Amino acid sequence: MKDYKLEVWVTTICFILVAITGGFFSSFVVILNERFFDQVPTPEGLVAFYGETMFVIKENLTVLGFPLHYFLLIMFSWIGVTILGAIWCLVMDRLEERQKA
Amino acid sequence: MEPRGEVFVLGLVLSIVVLIISVMISVWARRFTRNLGDYYVAGRSIGAVNNGLAMVSLALSLTTFIGLTALIIEGVYIAVAVYASFTAAFIGLMILAAPYLRRHKSFTTMAFISERYGSKSLRYMSVIVMMIVSVLYLAGNLKGIGIVFYFLLGVPEVVGIVVGGLVVTLYVTLGGMYGVTYNQTFQTIVLLFCLLFPVAIVLRTLGASGWFFPPLGYGDMVPDMISFVPHYFWAMVEHPITYIAIFLGSFFGIIGLPHFVMRFFTVRDAREARWSTVICVFLVGLVNTTVYATGFAAVYFMQTTAGMDLTPAAYDYMVFILVEALAGEGWLALAVAGSVAAGLSTVSGLLLIMGAGLVHDLYGEMKPEVDDEKKLKLSYAAMFVVGVLVILFSLNPPEFILKAIMWSFGIAAAGLGVPIVLGIWWKRTNKYGVGAGMVVGSLIGLLGWIMIDYMGMNPVDIPFPFFAKYLYGPMGWIKVTVLAVTFSFILTVVVSWLTPPPPQELQRQVDEMHGWQDYDEKRYNGKGLPITILVICVFLLWFMTTLYDVFPK
Repeated sequence: MKDYKLEVWVTTICFILVAITGGFFSSFVVILNERFFDQVPTPEGLVAFYGETMFVIKENLTVLGFPLHYFLLIMFSWIGVTILGAIWCLVMDRLEERQKA
Repeated sequence: MEPRGEVFVLGLVLSIVVLIISVMISVWARRFTRNLGDYYVAGRSIGAVNNGLAMVSLALSLTTFIGLTALIIEGVYIAVAVYASFTAAFIGLMILAAPYLRRHKSFTTMAFISERYGSKSLRYMSVIVMMIVSVLYLAGNLKGIGIVFYFLLGVPEVVGIVVGGLVVTLYVTLGGMYGVTYNQTFQTIVLLFCLLFPVAIVLRTLGASGWFFPPLGYGDMVPDMISFVPHYFWAMVEHPITYIAIFLGSFFGIIGLPHFVMRFFTVRDAREARWSTVICVFLVGLVNTTVYATGFAAVYFMQTTAGMDLTPAAYDYMVFILVEALAGEGWLALAVAGSVAAGLSTVSGLLLIMGAGLVHDLYGEMKPEVDDEKKLKLSYAAMFVVGVLVILFSLNPPEFILKAIMWSFGIAAAGLGVPIVLGIWWKRTNKYGVGAGMVVGSLIGLLGWIMIDYMGMNPVDIPFPFFAKYLYGPMGWIKVTVLAVTFSFILTVVVSWLTPPPPQELQRQVDEMHGWQDYDEKRYNGKGLPITILVICVFLLWFMTTLYDVFPK
């Protein structure tokens, strides 16, 4: 039963992390930062601040020349998920060996 | 879009070389096919590296090569965000389904659903869903091959659709899964070479300092880009349900798309299934990030070139225009050959699963007395007939090749992805629940596609009670995926709970899929998972209808 729970928990955590890193993360970095740290968007203030197009302006926050959220998006959805997948595989390899033993 | 005006000889020669090598590989691989198992799942003998490479070419269809570039020109940041989700979805496929499906020993997705739930009706229903999603997926890819032929020879796209379709039908029919696997491996290598190098040269010509590594090589051009297209990197403050729809469509859609899942039935064991996915996602990520660079370069080129006035319908040609203008004809020939390889690999995988679905899952189930030898002969014929039928269907292709594919992801997620995931992770799931979820979920997706994409209706005007008015905004139609997937989950869980549990021999399959030698009723049978799924689904449906004062139209 212990191994079964380990399998379920490791899979759940990996799935949540992959779901967050594969596209969500960078969007939430932008949206949450604007909402809670820059304190800009209130329902009334959003359109006034961003204009009708609702595009977020981010300046002076770059990595290798790319805006931070864009860099995070492409790196997490590529290298990030590959590493997460490899970790999950290693844990499952161990578990499989224990099951066979 | 005007053709080049003359036959592009070098590109034509390289494309023909790719086609000839593909057919030769199939003829060579034919010697390994001795029975039905060899034909459909390559004798379950494929290793992790070979399978990983084959999966890459399946994933990187023409939609990636030319469709994504067009989408980035249209949608800039949000297009990249969409595709990032597709890359990550492979790991979702791995941790939720891949090794477990391999242990189940089925030939196809449809066989898995039928055997796991003990229902012939579900097999027939899943064959129908499979045919719908495969045809949608194929139509987009065959149009891509038509685009390549149009560019090469100036002949109408329809000629490319027919010629390319016939070639791929020929080599799939000849070589079966062995031929398809070795061809896909070859095509991945061609594709990587033919994408990375021309894009690097394009970036160098545009003046990017990191041109030698296209995925991260264009950072120093960002300030210029922002001055041309101020919103290029700006994340849109859009209702987050759009991102959630993309996530649901890509993560569960890839599990439901049978030509991806079928690759896991071909590997030696569950471990090889796992590691082949890791190899695949690394290479898919490398190519996708390179295509983001291509999209960036395309927008940059359009902004800096006088007289560059393309209609949106011509954006699908932008990769070739870009490479020809900035890298030269030699590199263009490589890019064209890579496109041909990309198109062929995906079409071949889809044709094989459609043939398998018709002969193995439909005819074989209705006439179980037919022996394997006759089924094998029928498979050759079915594959050929399916190929010709799909070519005929594709003569009226969708306007944007990637849009048709995103719809097929949504329908596959609701109709096939949900039954597969719940069948692996919740023993209590039964045939009644799956039947209800599959029918309602895939119908929502299919009706959405027919009304919005095929009939051209405005998403907010479609007759979806209560929810239609929320389908507005950029890519508002994609929110239909949220409805399809959540209703599929809710109905499957609720109906399974309200009806008798499946017999123990069916529940035992779940333990076996997870590698357990013994049976324990408590494993994968708790209430935590179904309750969590219900709560999340109800929350998502509510979330879709709220916060519109914070995220206005």
